[in-house]
Amino acid sequence: MKKSYLFMLLLVGLLLLAACQPEEVQVEVTRVVTETITEEMEVTRIVEGEVVTESVEVTRIVEVEVVPEVPEEPTSLRMAIHGTENSLNPYTYRTGYPGWNMLLLEYDTLLQLDADGVPQPWLASNMELSEDGLTITFDLRDDVTWHDGEPFTAEDVKFTVEYYQTHEHGRWTRNSQPIESVETDGDYKVIFHMAAGSPGYELQLAETPIIPQHIWEGVEDPDTHEFEANIGTGPYKLTETVLDQFYVMEANENYFAGKPAVDKLVFVQFADDSGSLAAIRTNAVDMIVRRASPEQITILGAVEGIDVAQGPEFATDMVNYDVERFPFNNKTVRQAMNLAIDRQDLVDTVYLGAASPGSAGWIHPASPMYNEAVVTTYDPDAAMALLEEAGITDSDGDGIRELDGQPLSFEFLAVSTEALRLREAELVSEMLGKIGIEAVVTAVETSTWEEAVWPGFDVTQGRNYEMSMWGWSAPVQANPLRMWQLLHSSPDTGFLNLTGFANERADELSETLTTAIDPAVQKETLAELQEITADDLPFILLLYPDGAYAYWSSVYDGWTFMAGQGVFNKLSFIPEEARP
Amino acid sequence: MLSESRGGRVFQYLFVLVVAISLNFFLPRMMPGNPLALLAGVDVGLMTQEDRDKVMAEAGLDRPLIEQYASYWGDLLRGDFGYSYRQKEPIANLVLARLPWSLFLAGSSLVLAAIVGIAAGAYSAWKRASVIDVGLLWSMITINSMPSFWLGMLLIAIVSVRLGWLPSFGAETPAAGYEGLDRVIDIGRHAILPVLTLTVLTIPAVYLTMRYTMLSVLGSDFIRTARAKGAGETRVLFAHAMRNSMAPVVTILALRLGFAFGGTVIIETVYSYPGLGRLMFEAVGGRDFPVMQAGFLLITIAVLASNLLADFLYPFLDPRTKGQ
Repeated sequence: MKKSYLFMLLLVGLLLLAACQPEEVQVEVTRVVTETITEEMEVTRIVEGEVVTESVEVTRIVEVEVVPEVPEEPTSLRMAIHGTENSLNPYTYRTGYPGWNMLLLEYDTLLQLDADGVPQPWLASNMELSEDGLTITFDLRDDVTWHDGEPFTAEDVKFTVEYYQTHEHGRWTRNSQPIESVETDGDYKVIFHMAAGSPGYELQLAETPIIPQHIWEGVEDPDTHEFEANIGTGPYKLTETVLDQFYVMEANENYFAGKPAVDKLVFVQFADDSGSLAAIRTNAVDMIVRRASPEQITILGAVEGIDVAQGPEFATDMVNYDVERFPFNNKTVRQAMNLAIDRQDLVDTVYLGAASPGSAGWIHPASPMYNEAVVTTYDPDAAMALLEEAGITDSDGDGIRELDGQPLSFEFLAVSTEALRLREAELVSEMLGKIGIEAVVTAVETSTWEEAVWPGFDVTQGRNYEMSMWGWSAPVQANPLRMWQLLHSSPDTGFLNLTGFANERADELSETLTTAIDPAVQKETLAELQEITADDLPFILLLYPDGAYAYWSSVYDGWTFMAGQGVFNKLSFIPEEARP
Repeated sequence: MLSESRGGRVFQYLFVLVVAISLNFFLPRMMPGNPLALLAGVDVGLMTQEDRDKVMAEAGLDRPLIEQYASYWGDLLRGDFGYSYRQKEPIANLVLARLPWSLFLAGSSLVLAAIVGIAAGAYSAWKRASVIDVGLLWSMITINSMPSFWLGMLLIAIVSVRLGWLPSFGAETPAAGYEGLDRVIDIGRHAILPVLTLTVLTIPAVYLTMRYTMLSVLGSDFIRTARAKGAGETRVLFAHAMRNSMAPVVTILALRLGFAFGGTVIIETVYSYPGLGRLMFEAVGGRDFPVMQAGFLLITIAVLASNLLADFLYPFLDPRTKGQ
């Protein structure tokens, strides 16, 4: 027993020692200094009876207090992230969010999204589209330098496009595919010759980072090549990486849009949510990059000093099913399910109000392309009427309807670690139960779920599921012109069509969309596509979760909420005057 | 096992190692789920079929299983643990960077748990049925039933968030650039909670084993003889009772040592500690086969080595088994 007592004392002692740290006290000394000032003064005197005003030089000795200049502490911001982004260059970064956002702090794009999500001139000061849409001419800024001091020129842009076309990367190669050839005209003019009109190409230009030719030239295998540093033109330079612990980025003082608002960014990597939540509450970090879950919004908001920035976002929660399988191959069943789901209830119960009910036509109501004629209602009585009329009744009294002798009963997948979507699945299952459809909620692990719904991430490999929770991240919805990716029946065009949806008219309209440049035509086509989606139901869109981001406002308050995409973006760090 | 020659025993262990390595190779590949997401990074859905095939080929995942197995052995024997899809780093680097942290946590907590567990177990047995003994016994059983993550989160909530005494995450303050003594103190401050959690959770097993063994030892003839010979209570306690109770306890500790590689995964996740356990956890979730393989291999070797160690130590602790 003696041993353990002694040990406990030692431990307590160590604890106290560790917890108390001597404070550093800064002492300021004010000095007094004498200065000699010579100045001209106007003096009025009476000379020989006359009032005379003349200029006279006067010398004075003055005592001045000199307050020593305290060097400004560099401002620093610690942000919590939840997964590694490897070496954070265009080929190694991992996630669409926040990886791509971090990437765009190091690199710039030809165009930059403004707070409304509209691409604006950035590295390209001007962009001109020819009449036939096949030639795009860019004037480039002449005051941009790479982090190592080399000047940014048109050669870099040409190199970037050609590099992405020849070195495979899921996102950049696809973005560069529409470009047939690139021409430079002097140092600051570059011309893209497109193979075909590519409407909405500005959005792709606003995503794609430009890389320096003098660094990337000759890099054969970008996935494994060890770069000395990530050289970009962006507002920040990655200066330190400790894998799975943190990244440090320092401000690029020569940034063309002005010195960034924060000198140093530290991205601290956490293994799970509880860690980052504990850390923000003690201000061990200043902001959490991941969206705050609904119950956390209230809890964090209640902590003095923490603000939560909220706004609608373009991410989606939806229900997918295999339309080639029973019973989803029956349109009446799909329509009945759509009518039976109370989206507002899901928003209130699962998201505590921090979400917007989904539109059955896919496009977000806040989008300029939204078709107001598309109606999304909750009407379980109408749902049941529909089913009764079609002869889909419960003949054996077990509460489950039958179609062609088979009961409407199937497996409904959800990811076990996604608490919110799992809860949504449970509620949806209850709602469907009320109209006589049995959806058995089955929680599975992420990779298993991906293999079931999107095997190999390749729609040509078919589908291994009946019904499942799903959702797309903001960029998919952000470009409404890409709706055809979700709907087209051919796997090459409809590479995001996970339900096997095939509708002739939808295919026709999709093909029109891929080449239509005229905004009026785009709007009309999209309007009809939304109507078809709401009627034929390739999927059931449940809701759009709001973005909610917690941060310490006393540490930094310059966050800008980009429409549909949240506060963690380049705009939040650029001086206000320079923001597009 | 004990009755075989040393050579025979080592051979047995090697055989188990080979089987374990083979299982190690095949099991992850039989899991549903595809490493393509890791290989390609983001937006896999945006790649064409040729691109996907190319990516899988580069990682060698399109070759027949037997071929992959053979080349796996070839690499292993050459000391090449492969390349991580997820981290884009040679795995040896990854492991070497993380291993020290796991060993630090597991090692410190093992030492502390040993000291406290042995002392408390011995005392409990010595003062059997006293209030302290019963109290300790019940506390230890209660602690033994606590989930590790719950205890970890509880400590964070109280000590870190509410009291603000200690940091809640990481091995060191990120990007603070501490050097020398400052760094040691910083690491120490960050280690207190994780080590405390691990220690508290390890003590019960040590305590219970020690107590049980001591109780049976205390009832044996040689103890009575020692007392009859006039030995003082202290001498009886330490030189006779405790010393003879050590064997099972040391065995347990040696076996626990093997689990230092990866057994700390829950604590590392709760405290965001950059150890081997967390590396394994993330590799499993992302189907990062090479990292999974390397990690499980390390665990296998560690467990087998610690078994071997316990096997060899036992005769020294319990001479009755020597020479068999």
